[in-house]
Amino acid sequence: MYVPDSGEIYVNGRRVIFTSPIDAIRHGISLVSQIPQLIGSLTISENIILGLERFGMMANIRKVENYIREESEEVGIKVDPNTEVWKLSYTQKQLVELLRAVMLGAKILMLDEAITFLPIREKRKFYKFMRKFASQGGSVILITHKIPEALEVADRISVLRRGKYVGTVETRAVTIDDVRKMMFGERSAQITYERLPISTPDEKVVLDIKDLWVMGDYGAFSVKGVKLQVRAGEVLGIAGIAGNGQLELVQAIMGLRKVSKGRIAILANGGLEDVTNKGTGKVRSLGIGYIPDEPLKFGVSMENNIEENLAMLPAIAKGIIKWRQIRGFANRLISEFNVVTPSSRTPVKLLSGGNIMKVLVARELSIARKLLVAYNPTRALDEVTAVMVRKIIKEKVLKERLAVLLVSEDLDEIFQVSDTVAVMNSGRIVKTFPAEKAERDQVEKLMVM
Amino acid sequence: MRLIVTKRVKPLKFGGIIIPFLSIIVGIFLATIALYGLARVPPLLVYGAIGQSLISPQMLQTFVMLTILGVALIIPFNAAVWNIGAEGQIIWGMIMSAFIGLTVAVRYIIVSPSDLPKYTNMPGMFVLPTPTVSGAYAVEALSMNPGAAICLMLIVAGIAGAVWALIAGLMRAYLDIDEVATTLIMNYIAYYAYNYIVYGPLQGITISTSGFGLSNALHPALRFSRISTATTATWEGVALMIAIFVIAWFVLRQTTFGLRLRILGSNPQVLRAAGINVRKYIVLALTISGAIAGLVGTILFAGNLYQLIKIKTITTPPTHNIGYTAILVSWLSMLDIRGVPIAAYIVASLFQAGINLQSSLGGVSGGSAMISSGALTYVLIGFVLTTFTVLRVFAEYSIKVVREGR
Repeated sequence: MYVPDSGEIYVNGRRVIFTSPIDAIRHGISLVSQIPQLIGSLTISENIILGLERFGMMANIRKVENYIREESEEVGIKVDPNTEVWKLSYTQKQLVELLRAVMLGAKILMLDEAITFLPIREKRKFYKFMRKFASQGGSVILITHKIPEALEVADRISVLRRGKYVGTVETRAVTIDDVRKMMFGERSAQITYERLPISTPDEKVVLDIKDLWVMGDYGAFSVKGVKLQVRAGEVLGIAGIAGNGQLELVQAIMGLRKVSKGRIAILANGGLEDVTNKGTGKVRSLGIGYIPDEPLKFGVSMENNIEENLAMLPAIAKGIIKWRQIRGFANRLISEFNVVTPSSRTPVKLLSGGNIMKVLVARELSIARKLLVAYNPTRALDEVTAVMVRKIIKEKVLKERLAVLLVSEDLDEIFQVSDTVAVMNSGRIVKTFPAEKAERDQVEKLMVM
Repeated sequence: MRLIVTKRVKPLKFGGIIIPFLSIIVGIFLATIALYGLARVPPLLVYGAIGQSLISPQMLQTFVMLTILGVALIIPFNAAVWNIGAEGQIIWGMIMSAFIGLTVAVRYIIVSPSDLPKYTNMPGMFVLPTPTVSGAYAVEALSMNPGAAICLMLIVAGIAGAVWALIAGLMRAYLDIDEVATTLIMNYIAYYAYNYIVYGPLQGITISTSGFGLSNALHPALRFSRISTATTATWEGVALMIAIFVIAWFVLRQTTFGLRLRILGSNPQVLRAAGINVRKYIVLALTISGAIAGLVGTILFAGNLYQLIKIKTITTPPTHNIGYTAILVSWLSMLDIRGVPIAAYIVASLFQAGINLQSSLGGVSGGSAMISSGALTYVLIGFVLTTFTVLRVFAEYSIKVVREGR
C-alpha cells in the first residue's frame, strides 16, 4: 500500500520490496484491519476465494467450502460458508477476515486494531489461537492502542510515537505505567480512567426519541423501537458492540438515514420540534454538532485545508467568506486543541489521524450550542488526547449545559464521561442506568446477550 | 531491480505551471515529427505557423470563447459534475439569440422593388440582399433600442443554455442518471432541433434563405462591434469574458457556494453530514455552466455568424465543436480557474496554427495539401494533450528504481 521512501525491509533475512499487498501475501504476510474489507453481497466462501490463489481461476466453490469448514474449526470459529456477508455482525465479519488471513497461508499475521472492538469472549478465543499459531512457528504483529490488550497477549511490546520507534520491552518485565511512559513520556501522568465529575441534568429535554424504527443497508430493521431522552447538561452514553444499530440510530437523528416509524424531536425555541425525516440541514440549523463514525469520510474533506474545512459549515460561514476571520478562528482552535500542523492552510490530508480528529472535534464542539451527537469520538486518538477531548466535552456539559449523545464501543470512554449509561443490543436499548449505578460486568453482559 | 511507483503526498513544486508548458513544447515537437512522417509536412513550416499564430490577432475570438467556456466548464468540473454538453447549450444560446434578434427586436417591412431605393439609405433600416418569394424586398427595421435588444439576447440565451443544462442536472441529482451521457446526447438533440428551426420557425423570408436552411441576417445595429478589421473578436465578447472570469473567480474562491462546490468534487458525504443539500449544488453547478455556455451562443451569433446556417453533417456544427475543445482547455488548466486564460490562449493558438498551416501548405506538393486544417489542428492539440496526460503522472507519482535481494 505504501512503499518506503528510505530504509529496507527483510523477510527471513532476504531483502524485499513490496509494491502491492499481493507481494506481501506471497511472502506469507497477511493484514487484518479494523474495518472489515469484505464484499457485502457475496457469501463468505466467495469472499475468501477471491484472495486464494491456490484454487486457481476456475475454483470449485464446493471444494472451497469444505476447506473453509475444516480450517474454521481449527481457528475456533464457527461459520456457515454459504452465508452472505451482509447478514453478519461486525464481530462475525472480523472473524471471517481473520479466517481469510489464516487461510492465505500467513506466516506473519498483522492485526491492525483488528480485535480491539471484539467482545471479550471472542477475543479470548482468538488469543488462544494466536498462542497456538505462534507455537507452530508463526508470528503475530498486534497493533493496538489498548495497552492492557498488549500486556495480556504479547511476548514483547514495541512502542512507536509520532512515527518514531521508541523501544521494545519484554512484557513480563513491565507494567502498564512503564508502557504509558514510553508512549507519552511526561504526559502519561495526564492519563486517567477515573470518572469525570458527574453532571446533574436539567429538566429540559433536548433530544426526545420515541419508538424509532430505522432500516439498515440491507432492508432489515437495524433500529427497533428505540426510545430515549437526552437532557440539557447530560451525557447519555450508549454502550454496545459495533453493528447493533448504533450507527443507524445516529444517522437517523442527524437526518442522514430515513426513519421508517417513530419520532425524533429536538429542542427549538423553547419547545420540542419534530425533525423526523426533515433532513440534515434542518437538524444542523438547530445548533447540533456531529462527530461521525469514519470521520475521514464523513467529517472532514481531506483535499481541503483547515480553514476551508471550517468555512464549509453553514453554522460558521454564510455567503461571502471572510477568510481573515476564519483564519483567526482556525488558529484559536489549533492552539486550544494543540493541533500539530504547519499552518491553518495546510491540507488536512497531510495531518496525522489524531490531528485531523482534533480539528473535527474542535469544530463540532464550537458549533454545538445545544446537542452534540458523537460516534466513537476518540477512536483514532492516543490516550492523552482522548482524555483531553473527553474532559473538554464534559466541561462544556457542566458549564454550558450542553446535551451529549455519546455512542462508543469503548467501555472505558462510556464510563468515564457518561451521566447516564444505556446499553444497545440488536437494535434495542436493553437497559438504562444512572452512571453511579452502572456496573461494568453487568453492562458487558447486556452487550453480548 | 524493480520500478517503484508511488503517489506523491505533496504535489510537485510548480507542477501546475511546469507540466502544462512542458507538455506543449514536447507535444508540438512530437506533432511535427508525426506530420512529417505521415504527410511530409516540413517541420519548419509547422513551427512557423505556430509561432505566427501565437501573436496573430485572428485567434483572439477563439481565445475569448474558449476562456468563457473554460470557466463555464471548470465550475461543475470542480464539483466532479461533468458537463460535456456545452455544445448543445451554445446551440440553444444561438437559437434564442436569433429568435430575439430576428423576430422580437426587428419588424419586417415588405417593399416593392421600385420603393427600395427609399429604404436603402434610410438610417436604422437594413435591406435583406435578395428578394422574397413574391418578388418584393424585405427590410428589417428596429423595433426596440439596440442596446436593450443585445442585453435581451444575452439574457434569453443564458436562460436557454441554463434550462438545457438544468434538465441533465435534475436527472443527475434526483434520478442518479449519469450527466456525462445525458449532456452529450443532448448536444445531438440540440443540433437536430437547430436544423428543424432553421427550416421552420426561424427560416429566412428571402428566396436565397427560405427552404435552404438559412435564417435572415441579423440587423447590423444588433451586431457586436469588432475590435479591429484584423480580427473577428468583439468588444462585447471581451467585456463579457473579463466580467465572467472575475465573477467566477470570486464565487469559487470567496464564497461558501464555491467552497462547497470544490468539496463536492472530492467528498460529497462530508457535505451531507454538514447538512448541505448536495442535490441542489449539483443542479446549480450544471445550470450556471449552461447559462455561461448559452452566452457564448450569443457571442457566436451576434459577433461572428449573424445568421443561423443549417448543419450539413453532424460533425460540422456552426460552433466548430468549440464546446468540446473547451473541455481540453479546462483540463489543461488543471481545474484551476487562474489557468483557464493561459490554457485557452494556447489551445486557441494551436487552432489558428492549423488554419494557417493549411493555407501555407497550398504551395507544397504531394498529399499534405489534402490535410484539412481541422485535422492539422487536432494533430497538434492531440499530441499536446497526450503528452500532458503522460507528464501528469510524474506530477502525481514519484518513480524510482530499487535493488532487491540479499
